Amino acid sequence: MLDGCPSTYLITFWRCVMSTKDDALLKELTLEEYKYGFTTDIEMDIAPKGLTEDTVRLISAKKNEPEWLLEWRLKALQHFLKMDMPTWQNFENPDVDFQDISYYAAPKAKPKLNSLDEVDPELLSTFAKLGIPLDEQKVLAGVVAVDAVFDSVSVKTTFREKLKEQGVIFSSFGEAVQEHPELIRQYLGTVVPQTDNVYAALNSAVFSDGSFVYIPKGVRCPMELSTYFRINAENTGQFERTLIIADEGAYVSYLEGCTAPMRDENQMHAAVVELIALKDAEIKYSTVQNWYPGDKDGKGGIYNFVTKRGICKGDHSKISWTQVETGSAITWKYPGVILKGDHSVGEFYSVALTRNKQVADTGTKMIHLGKNTRSKIISKGISAGVSHNSYRGLVKIGPGADNSRNFTQCDSLLIGDRCGAHTFPYIESRNKTAKLEHEATTSKIGEDQLFYLTQRGIDPEKAVGLIVNGYAKEVLNQLPMEFAVEAQKLLAISLEGSVG
Amino acid sequence: MLSIKNLHASVEDKAILKGLDLEVKAGEVHAIMGPNGSGKSTLGNVLAGREAYEVTEGEVLLDGSDLLALSPEDRAREGVFLAFQYPIEIPGVSNINFLKTALSEIRAYKGLPPMEARDFLKKVKEKQQLVEFDAKLANRSLNEGFSGGEKKRNEIFQLAMLEPKLAILDETDSGLDIDALRIVARGVNQLRADNNAFILITHYQRLLEYIVPDFVHVLYNGRIVRSGTKELALELEEKGYDWIKETVDA
Amino acid sequence: MLDEAATDTMITQISDSLYTHLIKTYDGNLPSAGLHSLDEIRTQAFERFKSMGFPTVKQEDWKYTNVQPLIGQRYSLDTEMPSGTPALDKALIPKLDAHRIVLVNGRYSSELSTDEEIPGLQIMPIEQAFDRLCFAKYFAAYADKTDNPFVALNTASFTSGLFIEVGKSRQLQKPIHIIHVAATDKPLFTQTRNLYVMGAFAEAEIIESFITEDGAEHNLNNQVSEIVLRENAKLQHYYLQVAGPQSNYLNHTEVHQEKHSLYNNYNCSFPGAAFVRNNINVQMGDSEVESHLYGIALTAGNQLVDNHTIVDHIKPHCESYEWYKNITQDTSTAVFNGKIFVRLDAQKTNAFQQNNNMLIGEKSAIYTKPQLEIFADDVKCSHGCTIGQFDNEALFYLRARGISEAQARVLLVHAFAFDVTSRFLNAAVREYVEHLVEEGL
Repeated sequence: MLDGCPSTYLITFWRCVMSTKDDALLKELTLEEYKYGFTTDIEMDIAPKGLTEDTVRLISAKKNEPEWLLEWRLKALQHFLKMDMPTWQNFENPDVDFQDISYYAAPKAKPKLNSLDEVDPELLSTFAKLGIPLDEQKVLAGVVAVDAVFDSVSVKTTFREKLKEQGVIFSSFGEAVQEHPELIRQYLGTVVPQTDNVYAALNSAVFSDGSFVYIPKGVRCPMELSTYFRINAENTGQFERTLIIADEGAYVSYLEGCTAPMRDENQMHAAVVELIALKDAEIKYSTVQNWYPGDKDGKGGIYNFVTKRGICKGDHSKISWTQVETGSAITWKYPGVILKGDHSVGEFYSVALTRNKQVADTGTKMIHLGKNTRSKIISKGISAGVSHNSYRGLVKIGPGADNSRNFTQCDSLLIGDRCGAHTFPYIESRNKTAKLEHEATTSKIGEDQLFYLTQRGIDPEKAVGLIVNGYAKEVLNQLPMEFAVEAQKLLAISLEGSVG
Repeated sequence: MLSIKNLHASVEDKAILKGLDLEVKAGEVHAIMGPNGSGKSTLGNVLAGREAYEVTEGEVLLDGSDLLALSPEDRAREGVFLAFQYPIEIPGVSNINFLKTALSEIRAYKGLPPMEARDFLKKVKEKQQLVEFDAKLANRSLNEGFSGGEKKRNEIFQLAMLEPKLAILDETDSGLDIDALRIVARGVNQLRADNNAFILITHYQRLLEYIVPDFVHVLYNGRIVRSGTKELALELEEKGYDWIKETVDA
Repeated sequence: MLDEAATDTMITQISDSLYTHLIKTYDGNLPSAGLHSLDEIRTQAFERFKSMGFPTVKQEDWKYTNVQPLIGQRYSLDTEMPSGTPALDKALIPKLDAHRIVLVNGRYSSELSTDEEIPGLQIMPIEQAFDRLCFAKYFAAYADKTDNPFVALNTASFTSGLFIEVGKSRQLQKPIHIIHVAATDKPLFTQTRNLYVMGAFAEAEIIESFITEDGAEHNLNNQVSEIVLRENAKLQHYYLQVAGPQSNYLNHTEVHQEKHSLYNNYNCSFPGAAFVRNNINVQMGDSEVESHLYGIALTAGNQLVDNHTIVDHIKPHCESYEWYKNITQDTSTAVFNGKIFVRLDAQKTNAFQQNNNMLIGEKSAIYTKPQLEIFADDVKCSHGCTIGQFDNEALFYLRARGISEAQARVLLVHAFAFDVTSRFLNAAVREYVEHLVEEGL
């Protein structure tokens, strides 16, 4: 039933990065348009639009999945069909026609790629344009490792062998299903249940690919692992699934970056990310999200409806989320941590910048179950234009979470008088030994600061960029060096045209 | 008055005091000196009954009865007063209300009726002057926004108000400028009497120039390793704690 | 007749028996005073109530507060005065010199109220105020714009309550002390409707106490108060919730402020009433308006006290200041939801909100949601929220000075409440509340 469709496609792209400090640090801040808006022509396999049991069976068959996984998907589909769209959000829920989306898109390429020579040159040039090196030879040895997945199918993984030496598994989700079914079966859906929300149910039914990471006991992953997501296709949704397991005493830092071409239609990205940290393990998950936000009139852009959650399963484990959200027409996600193990730690650092007609509704959920658990939330919202930026978060202390601590700070910065900044913190405690603190402030960008900088000859837009970067510093500092530079640039670029 | 025998105490399973002996009689002033980490402040906290400090061995008698069996408030009512090294700030609790409550409870413990308001205020005024404690501070919230010196003076003011049997001054001199030190010392000297006793915990000899002790003890590694008169303090000042460490460790 | 009675018995079995009872009683049979405009308002409100029904925990505003057990019971809707005179001593505030108004089950008692002529002050049962100009102007003008089904129900079917009008430029010398008494020998559902209008430049102080007569039966009280402050008016408004465990309250207060007016609300709940839900909404309808909302909820036993507040900055140059403190003991629950809206173009807004909680009870719970929604940029808005317990260092310090642990706790709770109690302008009420805080521990 798949027909070639050269005009639309979607790329998922991975890489591994080991940052070097001097890397591009001093690159000038350049202000530019959304520069990732190009499209690439490549021959595609695209499933017909629509969502039925057949769609799910087709995806599963395409990926040569075992029966149990097909059953799991079908169960999720049943849940999805029964669930209603949420109504609690303070923005207009876009009317998504789930039957008007294609749920599978893959490049018509060889089933498995072993060397770069086999990768479609168009694809390679796409990656090059995105500034992501695919070629091991072209990268300093050990600095960047890439696993590129093109339209739901893994294209190329670099540095896999090197990781393998230490027992680290880093592959596409599809490959992991073939090679490590026992791990997938053990952990899939254990952190984000199928019924968690309507988009999680949808993802569980139709997820195409994604990444899988397993760090064995006691191993500190020698590189930063990274996924680069790209949506290219028209009328397709992207539904990837990421599962990261850090076994006892393991450590991994994982980065995720996203871009998409400019299109007039809205496109949906409904991913699920599950993190599992066992005893003494630590997972650091960083995101720089720059999906196409739509144009200044709010036309087009990605609906970024993502469910991300980690569980600190073992004692003394730690999960840290860092996100810089500048893209998407609507961002709707709450990366959370279930603090189950005693002495476990959850962190959430977020910068969300909205302009034009963008909407960001993001925050976190910290669920304290174990004793002596700690969580920290730092959220910085920046709204410009006629955009709306909301922090929505839950801190919940269960009756058994003795001596738990939470600190939350959420600040909002307003640029212009037509935007909105909103804060919806839910704070629940059922333990008499827990201590929680929440602070929030809202302010406009300081006119005197702006004046000071412009008086020193700095262009007003650059000045805003500087101030915003200073404001977001606490969060940007959490990012690995290379990403921090990228994120800073992104913040400055995204603010273009918001002054005056 | 106070008799400490073979006192062992630990914090979070770490042994700090390791067999400390001390006898304090009424009318005496004892100075306890020692290098950082020798257990000086632990002694004060153990005597006052702070929860985190666990006594693992030994006994402490106050006028012949077991001090360690008492709750912190009953120790205070029996006449043990700890001038804290870091007095806590309690916003919303006024200094005066706090003192009135403390005094009434101590009096009730002794079977005495609460003090008449007028007598109480008279006493407050009198004692304020003794430590040159600003009347305005007395009406503010307990230690809230006080400078370091004001907090320490407030401790001595409370000492004057509560008239304890045994006062333990835990590094009261730390962080005080010379004027504040003089004021604190004068307050203590005026409060010295035949029926009370003082333990001065300090790192420096400086305080002892103003409050002359009857005995000086050197605490090292959880035990009193040397005792003498005020000359010992001078010797310490001159030779430093390394001298003690060397002679003891050798 | 027999058949009907039989149906009634059946209806009490289902969870929303009050709903059915109300529909049966009032559908096509709403109270009427023969005023067409009022009848119209009542009919529309009843339709709204019918379509909304009672809220469930699935609704955001009722997420932590389940009314189902309350409305699943059978009540009498008959609020005739009980026989005998209820005692008022539980509501007495030492050293307070005030005009006293007593409402028994929502009905004005002329017998128990002080009856004095005060120039410029109109106090009367609301049902006697229907023909007044400002009733026509303000009744149901604001509260009914909210989506609280209890307001709609109240508007449709209230039969009693209080009307107060403080005339232009009148500054009342004495506070008005309103005592709400719940006194009933059968399970009772009451609906009280109040309208307080403060004329331009008028100043007043209104203190409302809620008490339960000893031995009273279970009762549920749905009260709606609409308060209007004309230009430059000032109102100090106290709620003192000291009712007994048989009493349950749904109190909706809707305040509308005009230019340069000041509204201060002091909302205190103490151990007693099993269920208290307060909605206090302040609409800052013009510029240069100031409002302060202070609250203390000291809860014990299995109480639930839920304070929902909205401060709506509609116009520029307004200032709001909100501070709520909760102290939960035993198995009680405190809920706080503070919404601050800063509307488009409400520039130069200052909005401050603070919510501090002491969770003391082993099995008690605190649910809080301090919420900001801001649509203007030149604003100063902040909120803070803490949940904690007794500070062990502070406890030790006090004990080391000879103060018993119990007394030290009283001192610390007193200190915790101080940020709020110190704002009470009326010294007699402040002392009374401080005493209740100590007593409630």
